[in-house]
Amino acid sequence: MATSLEVQNLTKSYERKGQSPFVAVQGLSFEVQPGEIFGLLGPNGAGKSTTINCLTGFYPPTAGNVLIEGFDIHREPKKAKQHLGVCSQEDTLDTDFDVLDQMVRYGTFYRLNRFEIVKRARTLLETLGLMGKSNELIENLSGGMRRKLQVARALIANPKVLVLDEPTTGLDPDARRVLWQLLTENRKLGMATLLSTHYMEEAERLCDRILILFEGKMLDLDTPQALIAKHIGTEIIEEEIRPGVFWKRNPNLEDVFLKLTGKSLSGGGTE
Amino acid sequence: MTKHWKQFEEAFWPIRCVWLRYLHVYLKNWVYALVTTFVEPTLYLVSFGYGLGSMIGNVESNGISVTYRQFVFAGFVAQSCLFQGFFEAAYGSFVRMYYQKIFKAMASTPITLSEVLWGELLWDATKGTLSACAILLLGSLSGDLNPWGSLMAVPFCFLGALLFSSLGLWMAALSQTIEQISYPQYLLVFPMFLFCGVYFPLETLPETLQTIASFLPLTALLSLIRCLTLDFPFQIQALAVFLFWLVLMVFISRDTMSRRLVK
Repeated sequence: MATSLEVQNLTKSYERKGQSPFVAVQGLSFEVQPGEIFGLLGPNGAGKSTTINCLTGFYPPTAGNVLIEGFDIHREPKKAKQHLGVCSQEDTLDTDFDVLDQMVRYGTFYRLNRFEIVKRARTLLETLGLMGKSNELIENLSGGMRRKLQVARALIANPKVLVLDEPTTGLDPDARRVLWQLLTENRKLGMATLLSTHYMEEAERLCDRILILFEGKMLDLDTPQALIAKHIGTEIIEEEIRPGVFWKRNPNLEDVFLKLTGKSLSGGGTE
Repeated sequence: MTKHWKQFEEAFWPIRCVWLRYLHVYLKNWVYALVTTFVEPTLYLVSFGYGLGSMIGNVESNGISVTYRQFVFAGFVAQSCLFQGFFEAAYGSFVRMYYQKIFKAMASTPITLSEVLWGELLWDATKGTLSACAILLLGSLSGDLNPWGSLMAVPFCFLGALLFSSLGLWMAALSQTIEQISYPQYLLVFPMFLFCGVYFPLETLPETLQTIASFLPLTALLSLIRCLTLDFPFQIQALAVFLFWLVLMVFISRDTMSRRLVK
């Protein structure tokens, strides 16, 4: 089976006045196979957003290539993006449209048949619990609903590669589980997903492999279980959660992250 | 022919898609659209054309004598290209780029950022042209403007609105906050509107101001529109100045906005 997303030696640096360029991402290489959910983990400022902006063709890389379904996203952007769905970290919903119109409008950008778009939009809205809001303006939606709509919009063209930048931020536990279910179903259909997240549980539960990114460089890449076994081991960890209260638990990705970077996932600067 | 048409259609299709997105929004609230596009220039027309025009009588410019109403009708055609083009592009595109972030959203689909910006500019120019056409139509119906000349002026109105839309997009790309767009509005757009010959012939200004004004794009557009609609003499310099600003502004605005969004 062909690789869905291939990143070859990706480097991105930003010019700075009177200073040497700032290298945000350095020599990143990895592949995402069809049906794989690939996690991108790193604290704020690690280079996740820069990586995603390069993967989705918005920022040109300083060096390296990004191939989507075999098409270089910077040399053949139209062919590559025909297979790509993107949910940005920032809210990019088009507030001039209502929920359903928004989905349909974005479907037309992929040159899809209108009948097919409406059908798919309704299915996605139904799955994500937004069908009752299909005629609502975006401004009438809660933060969680907006986030779900943005994910739904990214899926409108049934992409082969889905890039999600912190899609569950601001979602309540129920909505998060609905989204996880959707991603799991899409995985079965062969969709390759690149997921950037802060949530350990989400990464451990969903991701087949995880790339740990820190200061623009890849620290490690493996399955969640292998990362934990390699860096922490399998021994039960005992920690004092309140003065005098000790708690025993299994090692997790947060421990791996702390060991490799000295920082927790929610810490770090702003990218 | 079919092959070339297909290639053209293929290349233009994404821009058309973006343009249709704006048209869809415009038509969704058509009452608001009509009011903002047509009412303002019509009010200017009635007030200056009929009100002030009845007091002033005839004016002479470029060796041609016309009624003040005719003079100012043609002036308002160019003014509407300036106002509708500039304000839609400056404030509208700033909102779309900075607050809504829809340039980025559209550019993450098979439509490229370059095509998104073309769609934006062409829509802004379309809106300016609609407004200018309303005045051309009124002027033709009232017998103040040459009807055939008015028809021939439409492409120039579109290009003029494209020029001022590009100026607006450029200012949006340079502004860090939406308030900063007020600077070019007060320091460039309003002086152009007041001193480029919309309300009075340039010949009445001191020579230095006349020279400065003759290099500004609104003066050039006014000259071309009055040439077509009032049979003023054709000035090749005006056409050259107009085309120079048009090419420069379209290039600079797209380049600056792309640099702002893509790092």
